Amino acid sequence: MRVVVRTFSELCITVGAVIVLFVVYVLFWTGVKADSAMDRQIDVLQDQWAKRPVATATPAPDASADPSTDSSPPKPAAYQDGKPFAVMYIPRLGFTWNKPVLEDTKVGTLKKGLGHYSGTAQLGQKGNFSVAGHRRTYGDPFKDFPKLRRGDAVVLTDGTTWFTYLIDTGPYKTVPSDIGVIDPVPRKSGYDEPGRYLTLTTCEPEWGHSHRLIVWAHLDSTQPVEAGKPEALRR
Amino acid sequence: MYGWIWRHLPGNAWVRALISLVLVLAVVYVLFQYIFPWAEPLLPFNDVTVDGQ
Repeated sequence: MRVVVRTFSELCITVGAVIVLFVVYVLFWTGVKADSAMDRQIDVLQDQWAKRPVATATPAPDASADPSTDSSPPKPAAYQDGKPFAVMYIPRLGFTWNKPVLEDTKVGTLKKGLGHYSGTAQLGQKGNFSVAGHRRTYGDPFKDFPKLRRGDAVVLTDGTTWFTYLIDTGPYKTVPSDIGVIDPVPRKSGYDEPGRYLTLTTCEPEWGHSHRLIVWAHLDSTQPVEAGKPEALRR
Repeated sequence: MYGWIWRHLPGNAWVRALISLVLVLAVVYVLFQYIFPWAEPLLPFNDVTVDGQ
């Protein structure tokens, strides 16, 4: 009898300890892992960009190696699933806030940065460039999502061009099945003609999954990286 | 359970304590490396998209 009671209490203590460890894992460890994963993605991008030939100054041989510099705004090559292709800056979320944007929105991809909905427009192109990110856990990239306001800048760079989007519609709450928010001309966004738009999505409430928060923005300006950081990132 | 493990560890009390510590760390490592990453997506924090992918 004593053995049974003792074993039972030991099991209870063990389960309790595992639950505490799991909370530590979710709240703390995923953030540590995601921060280092995001830093690594940004390093990968910067390596790629550093190796890229400076095609603007030397037209002939290098231009063929890099199709993205042909037109203005440049048409980027197809994004590879799970690979980073841009860095996003949102000054409202913090002056040092910058996150890599990866292609596709799979669970594993969103652990390493923000996820671009495959099938939506490419960065700076006509259509709706749509990006999803975690609100909580995995580095909390979109923790302060509700603070975004009309007029806030969302700046992205693909290594050749800075794209500055300006938010038009503040956090809009919707249900998870509302696919229309990432349409080329998103429904309920107030846009009524085709354009170069950006949509950000995250979960709502903060720790739940019953709803989604959405913001919409339009492309305000672009400038080559040689011209320096855009206005919104200067201080 | 723990008493049984303790009795079956070799060596004196210090050696047993050391082995216990290593065992605990091994369990924590397995939990963080394999069990928790499997269990975490079952919680609702991962649903941030609108198309249910």
